[in-house]
Amino acid sequence: MTGATGREQPGGDGRVGSPYGPGPLVEVRGLTARAGTATLLDGVDLTVTPGTATALVGPSGSGKTTAALALLGEAAPGVRLAGSVRVGGVAVVDDDGPAAGAADVRGRLLAYMPQHPAHALNPARRIGAVLTELARLHRPFGTGGRSAAEAYAAGALHTAGLTPDPGGKGMDGGGEQGGGVSAAEGRALRRRFPHQFSGGQRQRVALAQALACGPRVLVLDEPSTGLDTVARARLAGQLNRLVADGFGVLLLSHDHDLVRAVAPRTVLLDRGRVADTGATADVLPPPRPAPQRPYTDRPLPPPAAGDTAVPALVAHGLTAWLRTGRRGAVLHDVSVTVPEGGCVAVVGPSGSGKTVLARCLAGLHERHDGRLVLRGEPLPVLRRRTARQIRGVQYVWQEVRGSFDERRTVLEQVARTAVRLRGLPAPEAAERARRIAERLGLTPAQLTRYAAELSGGELQRAALVRALLAAPDVLVCDEITTALDATATALVTAEIARLRGRGTAVLWVGHDLALVEELADTVVILDAGSVVEAGNCRTVLASPRSGTARLLLRSRRLGAEVPAVPPEAESPEAVPPETSPPEVRPPSETDSPVHREDRPQP
Amino acid sequence: MLRYTLRRCAWTVVQLAVLAVVVFALTNLLPGDAATVDFNEQAGLEQVAELRAQMGLDRPWGERLLDWAYGVAHGDLGTSLVGGGPVSGVLAASIGVTATLAAVTLLLLVPLATAVGLLTGLRAGGRTDRAVSAVTLTLTSVPDFVLALLLVAFFSLRLGWLPSTWVGVDGAWWERPELFVLPVAVLLARTVCTLSRQVRAGTIAALHSGWAVQARRLGVPRGRLVLRHVLPNAAVPGVQELARTGDQLLGGVLVVEAVFAIPGTATALVEAVQNRDVPTVQGLALALAAVACLLNLGADLVTRRLAPRTEVLR
Repeated sequence: MTGATGREQPGGDGRVGSPYGPGPLVEVRGLTARAGTATLLDGVDLTVTPGTATALVGPSGSGKTTAALALLGEAAPGVRLAGSVRVGGVAVVDDDGPAAGAADVRGRLLAYMPQHPAHALNPARRIGAVLTELARLHRPFGTGGRSAAEAYAAGALHTAGLTPDPGGKGMDGGGEQGGGVSAAEGRALRRRFPHQFSGGQRQRVALAQALACGPRVLVLDEPSTGLDTVARARLAGQLNRLVADGFGVLLLSHDHDLVRAVAPRTVLLDRGRVADTGATADVLPPPRPAPQRPYTDRPLPPPAAGDTAVPALVAHGLTAWLRTGRRGAVLHDVSVTVPEGGCVAVVGPSGSGKTVLARCLAGLHERHDGRLVLRGEPLPVLRRRTARQIRGVQYVWQEVRGSFDERRTVLEQVARTAVRLRGLPAPEAAERARRIAERLGLTPAQLTRYAAELSGGELQRAALVRALLAAPDVLVCDEITTALDATATALVTAEIARLRGRGTAVLWVGHDLALVEELADTVVILDAGSVVEAGNCRTVLASPRSGTARLLLRSRRLGAEVPAVPPEAESPEAVPPETSPPEVRPPSETDSPVHREDRPQP
Repeated sequence: MLRYTLRRCAWTVVQLAVLAVVVFALTNLLPGDAATVDFNEQAGLEQVAELRAQMGLDRPWGERLLDWAYGVAHGDLGTSLVGGGPVSGVLAASIGVTATLAAVTLLLLVPLATAVGLLTGLRAGGRTDRAVSAVTLTLTSVPDFVLALLLVAFFSLRLGWLPSTWVGVDGAWWERPELFVLPVAVLLARTVCTLSRQVRAGTIAALHSGWAVQARRLGVPRGRLVLRHVLPNAAVPGVQELARTGDQLLGGVLVVEAVFAIPGTATALVEAVQNRDVPTVQGLALALAAVACLLNLGADLVTRRLAPRTEVLR
């Protein structure tokens, strides 16, 4: 069974007998970054030592990513770096900017995992081929050559927590038996292309790529965005295991729970300066008290829509396939009703078909069966919809950068919806766009920029503005708060509540259960493409009946309980415990097949 | 992938069947037929009608189509009305030269266009890119026959290095590679330009993608990044363009064949049309169309592998 587990596990070679000594792996002293007259980073000090995780936290725009990229000797165009960055004793940045040693450090000593891994995977190449290539690139495998590198790549995938069978089917029936990752399944998994994985799974493939390089330090930029609670708990567990194996980890995150669970030390950045550094508990604000039902006492924004509410959008018996000829089923007989002014949340582990459901409703996924009804009329796929129907159902998704034209300002593109779908004159459309944007915390100045100049969170809100300008009857939101900090999320929630007050129906796909509880009156739990539970949001979240819902709820709090990662065998996606021991055991020299000598000396 | 391949192949067969009917119908729309051409102006109408009956041209066209299609399905393209020999003989006589010309051109074209496309794409906006782009754009806008005549004037007439025409070459053209230099140069001039522009555009897009940036951050060296990561994605538009170029070349680039008097397929086709030699026109057109279909089939299969995510669109 151990095909995918392999004998060689990435990592596990950090602590003992390191030629770099017990000292810091990454040493940043007085790092500054300037763009024109603006100072992005100002005298940042930072250390990452082997076998520990350090967190870099701070509000959006505080310079976290700039600092992380500086560790690779990389800076955005027009940004000048100065100060000192040393990784494993190699100077990466000195006072003249990136040093020559930087190229040698990338991947081999330090691997960076970017925020939006969907874009980090080459669409034209099988994941296994890239993993093997990265493994061979950074370590000589001697005569074993290719097969040894492949085993190493398989190990990286395993360490990253990617189980076989992410495709969607089978989680209902046979998912639990996933204990035996057969060699054939592992190979099939490595022969897949990135588009054959769900968003959360791609995150793990990206992590596997970083691991396949066999680095000493992992720099992870918001690794928990877009992960469901179970996957997030597993990520925390995996990170802790990697740290125990001797990796140095630098964690960039808005997710304070994850930081508390993983990193004992935290550096707080604020506008490019280190505002605080020390033990995580001292640096971060105390965790918000999490009662069993945090939002139950709070009245829902509009009066909860009862059963008598008029249905705005009904999906009946929706079955969807990924490929032609009804192959690769991802949804099985899913029915959802979104009443006027109501909000239905769709929740489930990654790969459960949430996005496919949203895309079916938006008319983008054509390989489906079943009925869609918008206000009593049948709703065809997008290209057969009338302008009225297109206006009626608007879809906002997670990674929106690709949907913006780089050559026109965001405002121009966003306002176009109102011109095209509602026939408003352009100036009025622009005025309305500005008004909505302002409520979402976007300034008019930001709106008149080009997409490339806006951050992911700003664009995500601009995409929401674009959809709202259509004045839709039904708004489909697919994880639209993943790139937002708490303030921006609150503005979005307020806007959703306002919409519902005006009768707009909302379908909300999200992983943040607290947010779901706050927003939705009905919740639908999806697992492996089937509805496993549906009902009143409070009831379901307070006393879930399905195993999936219980699991998602149990994993929602990370904090102190991390070691008690939910019994993984119950999780449809979890690595079964039988396959974990190689990494969980305390690291020792004999345990780690990748010895120091295997590594090219700097 | 296998299912896609099978489906795509099945469609190609359907395409070819439809194409055969279209070719047959169109050639029947040509004014006049071989019977009218065969006689001089003194021939009476009865004589023409007699010959027509003799050639079987008076039968209803549906019947003739079935007859012809049956023959084609069995590898018999019919009999030339002019020479009296089999059409496949005409095809065989002309396709050799054209295929060699096309093969030599493609052999040089692919690496050259890829190299030029990558070079300009990797240095987009730089001095090299602007210089090379200026040359390629200029070359594209020069008509083939102008370029051909310029080359002939310079290399054949002034310097006398290369033969200017295939006139007088009979049979053993494959023993004289110098005959190919100028025609291939003219064919390359334009095709390299269009293809390298596609590769250039693809390279620029691929280089700026998140995964290329990530591969660089994971320490993939530049050369490897370009060849293993960027090129497969950058090649997608290029492969389609290549298929188009390929079928153009095999169809024989008429201008080039005319200027250099190359006895290729385009020349044979034009001759057949002039002679109202309907079976030859049909046979040649069908054979060339089939090659075009196959080239596009190949390009689609390659594209499918290079852009596998297209399977989930819609």
